[in-house]
Amino acid sequence: MIEITIVNQGSELARVAGLLDRLGAERHLAPEIVADMQVAMDEVLTNITKYAYGDKAEHKIHICLRVLDNVLEAVIEDGGAPFDPLAISAPAVSAPLHQRRVGGIGIHFVRNLLDEVTYTRIGGRNRLVLRKRFKT
Amino acid sequence: MDLHEEKVGGVTVVEVTGRIDSSTAPALGERLSANLEAPKVRVVLDLGRLEYISSAGFRILLLAAKRADECGSRLVLCGVAGKVRQLFDLGGFLDLFTIVGAREEGIAAAQ
Repeated sequence: MIEITIVNQGSELARVAGLLDRLGAERHLAPEIVADMQVAMDEVLTNITKYAYGDKAEHKIHICLRVLDNVLEAVIEDGGAPFDPLAISAPAVSAPLHQRRVGGIGIHFVRNLLDEVTYTRIGGRNRLVLRKRFKT
Repeated sequence: MDLHEEKVGGVTVVEVTGRIDSSTAPALGERLSANLEAPKVRVVLDLGRLEYISSAGFRILLLAAKRADECGSRLVLCGVAGKVRQLFDLGGFLDLFTIVGAREEGIAAAQ
């Protein structure tokens, strides 16, 4: 298990990606499995760093990465505004180029690349559990 | 992410190696903007060595495609395969770009 606390800055995301790579290598996970989680983590953490806090102050985001049996799991906790990514409606993925907005695609990726996404709001904090299953 | 750029005839080929995520997308955006600054240019973006791309990367690609459209330029993508192709498909992006198979086809399509 890897635990890391980052602050709500975009520059922190590369560090998380590096740790996820390390866990994937240690546990001999297939690159596609790690890639799906990398994309999902990038989307979730980008959302938190950009939108979760209304002020300019530094805030901590707690992340826990682990491999359980046949599941790669990431738990992300932040104290920002309540945000349930599962409550966002699916984006229009068939609009033509000039009408396309990327907003919403990130959450769409999270929901479709992973096998399980669970959101809970506990004690004033957002807790998101991301799970990607793999064959052993 | 590493970017490698070369000129083949009148076409600029930009090859991306590694990942395009929120950390690396800005550098790709700058490179594409620089290449698409002049009107009526031809750019091939080779994604054959790309591991994955997140929505931050797609945002950059969409902006580049719109800019190319507006300036009478051509932006052609090639090497979109495996995981990367799956992400393009999942986001509904396959129809939004000119996508060909290998780099040689991309260079031909851009001309």
